[in-house]
Amino acid sequence: MLATAVNEIVSTKINPNVVPHLHIWEWHIPLYLFLGGLAGGLLVITSIMIVLKRKFGIGPRDQGDGCPCLAVRIGSVLSPTLLGIGMLFLFLDLAHPLYVWAFYTTIQPTSPMSAGSWILIAFFPLAILQAMLVNKRQLRSFNIELINKVIDWTENHMTIVALVNAHIGVGIGIYTGILLSFFSARPLWSSSILGMLFLVSGISSAAALMLLLAPEDEKPVYSMIDANAIWIELMTVGLFVLGGLTGSANTHGAMMHLITGDINLAGMSYMFWFWGIFIASGLVVPLLLEFLEAAGVHIKFPNVAPVMVLFGGLILRFLIVFAGQTYHTFM
Amino acid sequence: MVIDTRVCVGCSACVYACKQENSVPEGYCRDWVVQESGGEYPKLTMENRSERCQHCENAPCVTYCPTRASHYAEDGTVQINRSLCTGCKACMAACPYDARYVHPEGYVDKCSLCKHRIEQGLETACVSICPTGSLNLVDFNNMDEKTKELLKGKIVYRQKEHAGTEPSLQWISASNKPGA
Repeated sequence: MLATAVNEIVSTKINPNVVPHLHIWEWHIPLYLFLGGLAGGLLVITSIMIVLKRKFGIGPRDQGDGCPCLAVRIGSVLSPTLLGIGMLFLFLDLAHPLYVWAFYTTIQPTSPMSAGSWILIAFFPLAILQAMLVNKRQLRSFNIELINKVIDWTENHMTIVALVNAHIGVGIGIYTGILLSFFSARPLWSSSILGMLFLVSGISSAAALMLLLAPEDEKPVYSMIDANAIWIELMTVGLFVLGGLTGSANTHGAMMHLITGDINLAGMSYMFWFWGIFIASGLVVPLLLEFLEAAGVHIKFPNVAPVMVLFGGLILRFLIVFAGQTYHTFM
Repeated sequence: MVIDTRVCVGCSACVYACKQENSVPEGYCRDWVVQESGGEYPKLTMENRSERCQHCENAPCVTYCPTRASHYAEDGTVQINRSLCTGCKACMAACPYDARYVHPEGYVDKCSLCKHRIEQGLETACVSICPTGSLNLVDFNNMDEKTKELLKGKIVYRQKEHAGTEPSLQWISASNKPGA
């Protein structure tokens, strides 16, 4: 008899930010999360490449005078640049941007956003220093006294700078997921593996970007990093989906809302974006293409795979941020 | 606050009193009325209730606020310091009751339990206007005899207690009505 029973709720609540569903974060936040993940991934890869080359002699040939290979040099510059652009979107999302200083008047240990705002600031000094050290030959040609002094003081410590940066990069990558996963009121986000998923996705996207930018002789290294990161990302997203499906009614429903959802996002349902664009064209197909490339089967358009990975990484952020809001609040 | 749903008729006087008293902008509300119907014909039940911020003792909005804008006041209510609110909306994502909204002037707003009125020894606007006495302002740490009598022997619930928020609003269920 229970099957025919009804339960209907009529509410006079009209607030557009929460009715009919949470509607607080639009395109700024997913774009920021993507750029943050990309910046973190770039810092992880470039700093590990520096350490591997300096300590173990592994990696593409250095370009003389202690300057690493071209992709590491470009990646090191892009990392803080992209994070800076991402932070601009974060700033634009604030309802009262002029009060942004309030983030830096306190440290709230229980607030991921407070921790994040400080991590973002901590990111820049060493990331910029690394970008300067790997490009010191070019910088010295400008002959700016202050920059020359900074390089003189620190150039013997590049390995330590890179080692610390590898950890900061991991921190930024995880933070972009933790930012969402601490919200227990939002069942889709409330998964501790989201931090790992965004970190691995950031690393695979960063490897794809470096693959696009690297000269021919450096490409195989980044293709290999990308393929490995994609493989780990596939496993992680699998665990994220399984964790949701096997969870309580809240998390199960939220995961189904994402992976089978019919809500329209730019002309396509969540389900098609998730399986078709993110999983198939953002992970599986590029993994196959890079595997074929590594096996010696040369593809006519080698840039297709990394572009697909980057687009897939962007779509992942949009899907998670949007689907987390369109599913109902914790019941 | 104790909300006696047995006598709530869903008139929305609480909503409009609040809107005027607190200058809530058009298209927004700090409190609202819910009508929940359930069961199977002919055994149907209906409950009207006035809802608002739960002023949780373990409020996720306070936990997640990065700037201390959302905070506990001395009287235990949850308040927002507008001059620290950046409008990052973390508190809104954190609230399991969706009790907050972004004010058009650029800060997050919600029920303040009419702090300004209580400080003057008055009741909240919603309590003062309620025509059926459904809304009762109660100090749970120092309950008077009238409140004890009101709650005695009744089915009383709090919303989403399993969220661990320790909400400070209590509802006397409509199932306490004779014949329900």
